[in-house]
Amino acid sequence: MSNQNQMTTKDKECHFCVNNVSDIDYKDINTIRKFINIYKKILPRHRTGTCSWHQRKLATAIKRARVMALLPFVKK
Amino acid sequence: MSKTKKSEAPQYELLYIVSNTYTAEELKPIMDKVNKIITDNGGQILRTEEWGNKKLAYPIKHQNYGYYNLVEFTTPGEKMQKISHVFRITSEILRYQIVVKEIKKEAANNKEKERARERAVRAKEDEKKKNELEKEKTKTRVNMLELDEKLDKILETDDLL
Repeated sequence: MSNQNQMTTKDKECHFCVNNVSDIDYKDINTIRKFINIYKKILPRHRTGTCSWHQRKLATAIKRARVMALLPFVKK
Repeated sequence: MSKTKKSEAPQYELLYIVSNTYTAEELKPIMDKVNKIITDNGGQILRTEEWGNKKLAYPIKHQNYGYYNLVEFTTPGEKMQKISHVFRITSEILRYQIVVKEIKKEAANNKEKERARERAVRAKEDEKKKNELEKEKTKTRVNMLELDEKLDKILETDDLL
């Protein structure tokens, strides 16, 4: 789990810019899951390489997913 | 009153969780009830999707499982408050969330295309820079090797003692 979350230093390009994603869907948990750590906290930009524009969208998507119990708020 | 022109009715996306205390057969009337709430308030259902019984990431009202359902609909913006109020007092619904769905217009699409183009150009430039840097690195490495050889020669030939 922790290894999955840790991005290599080479992977510094915004995942959403590269894939040309403009709207991050909160229902798409498999994508969003890559951007939270083992404590289910939102990872900072310098860890994931996400650009600031997408990081803001990502944060709202994660928060929306949490409300709908798709993602946990805290680790059990 | 409104400054902007009245555009078409906005599109909404509703996701709601039905309590797991109901069986799969009892689910259908609940879904119909939800759809009726929307249509009664001047809404129009565009698409529905059933996700089925799923495990919740954390218990809600002591329930660990729930039926997820997705509804896409349009309705005049003024009615949204009433609809969400009805959902809030519906006991079958554990939780719901309504999100405004953005309908992409031509201008937005063009902007996106432009952005993609800029990105491509930037990527090319970055690659060029990277290649140049690598070349320089190899050059310096060669220089270091030459220096080492020279030093070795000097050490071999001259008696430093």
